Amino acid sequence: MSASEVAIEFKDVGLTFPSAAGDAVVALDNVRCRFAPGKVTAIIGPSGCGKSTLLQIARGFLAPTRGSLRFFEISNAAGTVPRPAMSIVWQEFNLFPWLTVMENVTFGLELRGVPRAERDARAHKAISAVDLSGFESKYPRQLSGGMKQRVGIARALVMEPDVLLLDEPFGALDAQTRLVLQEQLASLVETSGTTAILVTHSIDEALLLADTIIVMTARPGRIAEEIDVALPRPRSMATTHDPNYAVLFDRIYGLLRDEVMRAMVIESGGQS
Amino acid sequence: MSQQPLAGRDEAVDNAAVAPLSNPRRLLDNPRVLGWGSVALFLVVWEVSARIAGVSPLYLPRPTHIVVALIELFRDGGLTIDLAVTLYRIFAGFGLALVAGTLLGVWIATSWRVQAVADMFIAALYPLPKITLIPLLIIWLGTGGPFMLTISFLGAIFPIVINTVLGVQQCEPGLVLAARDLGATQQQIVRRVLIPSAIPAIFAGVRLGLGVSIILVVAAEMVVGKLGLGARLYLSGQILETEQVFAVLIVLAILGIIVSKGQDAIDVWLGRWRTG
Ligand SMILES: Nc1ncnc2c1ncn2[C@@H]1O[C@H](COP(=O)(O)OP(=O)(O)OP(=O)(O)O)[C@@H](O)[C@H]1O
Ligand SMILES: [Mg+2]
Repeated sequence: MSASEVAIEFKDVGLTFPSAAGDAVVALDNVRCRFAPGKVTAIIGPSGCGKSTLLQIARGFLAPTRGSLRFFEISNAAGTVPRPAMSIVWQEFNLFPWLTVMENVTFGLELRGVPRAERDARAHKAISAVDLSGFESKYPRQLSGGMKQRVGIARALVMEPDVLLLDEPFGALDAQTRLVLQEQLASLVETSGTTAILVTHSIDEALLLADTIIVMTARPGRIAEEIDVALPRPRSMATTHDPNYAVLFDRIYGLLRDEVMRAMVIESGGQS
Repeated sequence: MSQQPLAGRDEAVDNAAVAPLSNPRRLLDNPRVLGWGSVALFLVVWEVSARIAGVSPLYLPRPTHIVVALIELFRDGGLTIDLAVTLYRIFAGFGLALVAGTLLGVWIATSWRVQAVADMFIAALYPLPKITLIPLLIIWLGTGGPFMLTISFLGAIFPIVINTVLGVQQCEPGLVLAARDLGATQQQIVRRVLIPSAIPAIFAGVRLGLGVSIILVVAAEMVVGKLGLGARLYLSGQILETEQVFAVLIVLAILGIIVSKGQDAIDVWLGRWRTG
């Protein structure tokens, strides 16, 4: 696995959604940032600022209208590698409802032509990593929201991606479930040393999970600031009592508040 | 437990099985007993009143005589062959329509060009009663096997195509994206995501389509057939064998029940992953 060697760089990336009515939406403008290998980078910003768009560009589902992407090999910073393997964890889970937990998790491996025995072994490992052993033959509708998203995480992890992309993975869950899953994900990320990009609305979630936090401006999305999270690992809910935690929280909150206010002005202006 | 006025369905079934005589009122809580019981009652009333009133068997034969006629028809009247021929005609055409209709439906739903072309033809042909095509099809195909296959095919394909299109179009876009993320090609997305998610809708089309196929094949047999349930029905009527007419109707009714119950069972099985 080349998991620890790959990083992504956005070079002055812009993306404008054309619109039939003529008023095109500039979703991203001049985004310049780097996602370090083996690190978790959180992206936080007001609603509609282009966070999901940025993730879709990294995944290759959307092509930037300006600028470009580069994928680096860290041992040889000049040589680009082909697009690293990536898997997405979705806010709406997007599990296939007609497949069992096991079949959902092995879906991608099967498409890839991995032999059955290996498929099953890897899936069992991923399912037990998210604490769902025993639920292999359940259908998604038989699971709670938190369990569904654990399946979503297992389905992404089993692909052994170089980069894990998480788009508000816990946004659809209740507050208590979210806390538990955040802690679980934190330890999962810490033990596997995976490269991850995490889009979130929650400052706490970003501080719990990320090595770097990118704060974005209101639309059109730009990078407002990059903040290193120098909190010790392993992190858990206890980390919130660290004096540095409050300092970082206040700093991010200050940045975000300004941008959210601006976003609200933009939105009300757009409506009139 | 027997005191509860709002006894559940399962409990009612248990009681009926355990103590059928001690509590006859409970029997009426069992939907199966209620259904079959009313059929039996209907037949008894029919038998008795036909016997008392002395209605001519030419108009209304007694159920017992119909049963005798039915058994005779199966034993030496060749009704078994008629039944087999009719079933073959229905299901051969329907099977073709199922395969072709599903493929065509997926194609229409995934290409706006194909949709634009197909829309016009479907709009023109779908509402047309297919039975009106019988004269034209006879001119083109004669009255043999190809004609029967075509009529059954035409009956089933429209509902199947239309429902497949709806089913595929209603597929959650997030599921397609998730499959793409997991490495699915366009073709794999069709086979592994679009079609499975459309299966409940496709099956709704199958239900409608199979019904129309049955109607059309029997009707076509009445018009042109020498073999088949429809032909047997028509010929019996011609020679005023009313008991035989009723016997064939019973076979058709039982066929209907089997098809419809079979579809219910398939529906439950297909829907095991759905809410409800
Ligand atoms: N396919 C599209 N066509 C046109 N505009 C789009 C499209 N997708 C997104 N947009 C617009 O681009 C902007 C950025 O969208 P995006 O989904 O990336 O925001 P986000 O930061 O993920 O928002 P949220 O926090 O609400 O998820 C929004 O204003 C959105 O309305
Ligand atoms: Mg988003």
